[in-house]
Amino acid sequence: MDITQYFTDYTLRTITLGTAVLGAICGMLGSFAVLRKQSLLGDAISHAALPGIAVAFLLTGAKDSNILLIGALVSGLIGTWWIRGIVTKTHLKTDTALGLILSLFFGFGMLLLTYIQKQPNANQAGLDKYLFGQAATLVESDVILMSTVTGISLLVMLLFWKEFKLLLFDKNYAMTLGFNTKFIDGLISFFIVLAIVIGLQTVGVVLMSAMLLAPAAAARQWTNSLSVMVILAAIFGMFSGVIGTAISASQNNLSTGPVIVLVAAVFVIISFVFSPGRGILFKQLRLLKNRRELELQKTLYFMYSIVRKHDDISRPHAIRILNNFQGFTKGTLSQLEQKDWIVIQGTNWSMTPRGFDTAANLYNSNLPEQ
Amino acid sequence: MSPSIEIQLIAAITAAACAIPGVFLVLRKMALISDAISHSILPGIVIGFMITQDLASPWLILLAAVSGIITVVLVELIQKTGLVKEDTAIGLVFPALFSVGVLLIAQNANDVHLDVDAVLLGELAFAPFDRLIVGGIDVGPKSLWTITAILSFTIILLIAFYKELKVSTFDIGLSSALGFSPVIMHYGLMSVASVTTVAAFDAVGAILVVALIITPAAAAYLLTTDLKKMLALSVLFGTSSAIGGYWFARAIDASIAGSITTVLGLLFLIIYLFAPSKGLIAVLLKQSSQRIEVSLLTFLLHLNNHDSLEERSVAHLQEHINWQRVKAKSVLDLALKNNMIVIDNKVVSLTQKGLDFTEKAIEYIITNKDEKIEDMKDDFFLFRG
Repeated sequence: MDITQYFTDYTLRTITLGTAVLGAICGMLGSFAVLRKQSLLGDAISHAALPGIAVAFLLTGAKDSNILLIGALVSGLIGTWWIRGIVTKTHLKTDTALGLILSLFFGFGMLLLTYIQKQPNANQAGLDKYLFGQAATLVESDVILMSTVTGISLLVMLLFWKEFKLLLFDKNYAMTLGFNTKFIDGLISFFIVLAIVIGLQTVGVVLMSAMLLAPAAAARQWTNSLSVMVILAAIFGMFSGVIGTAISASQNNLSTGPVIVLVAAVFVIISFVFSPGRGILFKQLRLLKNRRELELQKTLYFMYSIVRKHDDISRPHAIRILNNFQGFTKGTLSQLEQKDWIVIQGTNWSMTPRGFDTAANLYNSNLPEQ
Repeated sequence: MSPSIEIQLIAAITAAACAIPGVFLVLRKMALISDAISHSILPGIVIGFMITQDLASPWLILLAAVSGIITVVLVELIQKTGLVKEDTAIGLVFPALFSVGVLLIAQNANDVHLDVDAVLLGELAFAPFDRLIVGGIDVGPKSLWTITAILSFTIILLIAFYKELKVSTFDIGLSSALGFSPVIMHYGLMSVASVTTVAAFDAVGAILVVALIITPAAAAYLLTTDLKKMLALSVLFGTSSAIGGYWFARAIDASIAGSITTVLGLLFLIIYLFAPSKGLIAVLLKQSSQRIEVSLLTFLLHLNNHDSLEERSVAHLQEHINWQRVKAKSVLDLALKNNMIVIDNKVVSLTQKGLDFTEKAIEYIITNKDEKIEDMKDDFFLFRG
């Protein structure tokens, strides 16, 4: 496969565009899901959408993907509403409610699907693409639909940006300011459900939650600002889509959905390890650096405790007498010398006035100024 | 045994084996771990199948269970870095592992025996065809033996460690103080859940096993708060739905696993709506009666505070407390019925009983002590109905 194929191959171009747009909207709205600690809501909703697809097919008998998606949207919203009902009205916890809706709706959906399969209707084939998704079935009208939905949700997000942000980080404050939190809450949930539903055809019920979560979780590691996070997540999602499609197109037997999810997972791993602020790598490096710094200070303070007993602070002492102290190495000594805290002459060291002052104030330097 | 009875037996025993760990998962707020495990055992199963070429081999179950435990460990590792919350960690791990599994299946598409549909749905209907033959004698379907072994093992563990499980579920601090390591309990439970999930996977598929684990426990939790009763009820719910689901599937000629879940769903819906004291209807009734009680209290306090006739006239009350007409009337009626007030020439005044009640209520509001409300609870009951 080479790059010119993107311009000549209609199918590849459509699929790439479709997965890119899907990745972008999922990343964008997924950021809100992750920050609202509703990461697994996406998983539950995508499973809950399945019976809607089956019912829509049973009612209309048509395989028009828009009608099926409306069915999915309705049943996804019913699922969300019921989860909320279980959590607020009974003592069952969120995880139980999510698991319940996820498995029960999905089971019912599977029942309907197998029932449909037994029906004498030639149209039925292809409904199971919603289980694992088949990006290959994307056509131009699907991409247009996705782009429209993305545009609308972008518009709504910009319009309600302040309200969304407020609700995310301080719901009670939003309430006291007189915002209709129920409405805003519902609005966010609605758009999350919408994003999930339009992604079903491409990546399928099971993997949809990862599309929503992974780009947002990756973006979260790079920034503490909501707007940057949303933009980054959209970019990560888009690239997962494009790269995933390219990899799966380059080989046989690689379904697009799982490959996209794995690419997104790679983004997550890279972000977890390499992000400068929160990443594991830099955190470890900082830890090491701090530890070394402490060791250096320990050695200096030990020297200080020796020097203090003498009138002349710059009097030379043998390096040997440091031996019973574990914190020093050749490296620390030369580092101390570099900092101009001590002077080394042969096998002797002597403290400089500067080193003396530093050591004397070592444990005061972190005190708040008085 | 006829295949029909064998299928019902397998389904019922699977449901029972799932329900027992399910109770503890629901109580420990870890229900979604079962979802994660059920998805991420897929690569374990595929690799196991490549090695053993037998879906019911104990080695495959072991391998898959190990990948379930790896999931739990991975989720905990990610969570420990503090980079994301627990639910996000779960949501990141299992789709990735599941994707690996799906790709592995697709790469080995020639192994017709293991396809993606079977992964999601399982094939209970075919389970009786895979017989276990010992010394030339057919002793029954393989999966029946596997799941029975797992169920007995689970029950033995449950009886042996019941006390420890109970303590570590409800009070982690106490359990570590008593010397039962919560970590061992946690991983023990996770291992049992993994093994059960893998075995049940054969029968009902990767996702529907979640229904068998969570739903009976959740339904039982709405009915009782006694752990033993909850265990018994959830086993009962699980097995009866399994058998009911089988007959439902036969009636409409659809997937057995799907219809078992549907029956479970209906059962949960009924219990969710009608459970005494914890069901939706009971909760809504309680909330509305509490609302009226609060209104009544507000109303009585208002009367207590105002002596002038003008403030206490019926017409004025409505605008003063800012109630709708209907609500004002129902509160007024309630107070009248309980002899808290008398209406004399359209002026409301408190009776002695109403006065006593109000004073007690004020005392409670001021001191906010529970003893004050203890005997009031009986009074409050008077207003209901």
